[in-house]
Amino acid sequence: MYFESIEALLNMSGHGVYVWSSVAVTLAAMLWLVSAPLLNHRALLKEVNRDIQRQQDRELAEKATVPTDNHKESH
Amino acid sequence: MSRLSNWLPTNWQWFNRLGSPRWFYHRSERWLPWMSLAALLVLATGLVWGLAFAPEDAKQGNSFRIIYIHVPAAFLAQSGYFIMAIAGAIGLIWKMKISYMVMKAAAPIGAALTFIALFTGAVWGKPTWGAYWVWDARITSMLILLFLYAGVMALQYAYHSVDAASKASAILALVGTVNIPIINKSVDWWYTLHQPATIKLTSAPSMHMDMFMPLLVMIVGFYLFYAVALILHTRNEILRRERKTSWVRELATAKAGG
Repeated sequence: MYFESIEALLNMSGHGVYVWSSVAVTLAAMLWLVSAPLLNHRALLKEVNRDIQRQQDRELAEKATVPTDNHKESH
Repeated sequence: MSRLSNWLPTNWQWFNRLGSPRWFYHRSERWLPWMSLAALLVLATGLVWGLAFAPEDAKQGNSFRIIYIHVPAAFLAQSGYFIMAIAGAIGLIWKMKISYMVMKAAAPIGAALTFIALFTGAVWGKPTWGAYWVWDARITSMLILLFLYAGVMALQYAYHSVDAASKASAILALVGTVNIPIINKSVDWWYTLHQPATIKLTSAPSMHMDMFMPLLVMIVGFYLFYAVALILHTRNEILRRERKTSWVRELATAKAGG
């Protein structure tokens, strides 16, 4: 290591605040760039499943309540 | 030779297959773990090397270590712009479905990388120039890059039709490409506080090898990270636009059951 101790690495002879805040913001932004789509991916698949469920419910309800004669008028 | 001929431009099969969102979605699932692992390892190596092991700069002291994230982020912010613009152009010319999705996916990633470059540059400027922000040619053109990315993102939501939004975004992305050479040449064309390029393809790097090697590692790491982020965002865009198709529905049902 270039520095003699961990304290020296953190302090960086006074420049530590600048270097480590840059690193922290960068890592946070990069983490967001991969975590946001991963969470979104799960939400999207759930949404598709909800759509499928809703469509199936609607089809079932139509079959159960609407006799074939009234089918056109009901819409 | 016969295998090679499959990849020559006369045979467009690969082009069509790559253009199929479904094919890309399934294939990229296999690429992602390896690419993520590689990105993580390379970035960790470069960061530890640059922050803790590289020697300090004679003039700037330790603040110079910001270079190990500032330069790769600025690099990818510009490369990413080209990727976005080229994807837009392919969409306009060949009407390849997936290229518009890649273009849309590239915008927020590029914006975040441009933000990182601007933020780390501002923090670096304080101990080096005595100011967080100066209206200098390099910095101003990078700010314009951020606005261009934001413009492409905003245009995606400005139209009711996905197709119209994609075309408008692609045109803005292509027009904005003029900004890239301006960013590159800004340090030569105008008198500026910003230091000249550290890395040029045409000449040896202007820094010592002990400092330069970790920077090179970080740039490779950022490219890998960019690829992972772009694939993740593109896959979501595929699901969003193809959510009515049977293959996405089957995929969602399978995921819910398992």
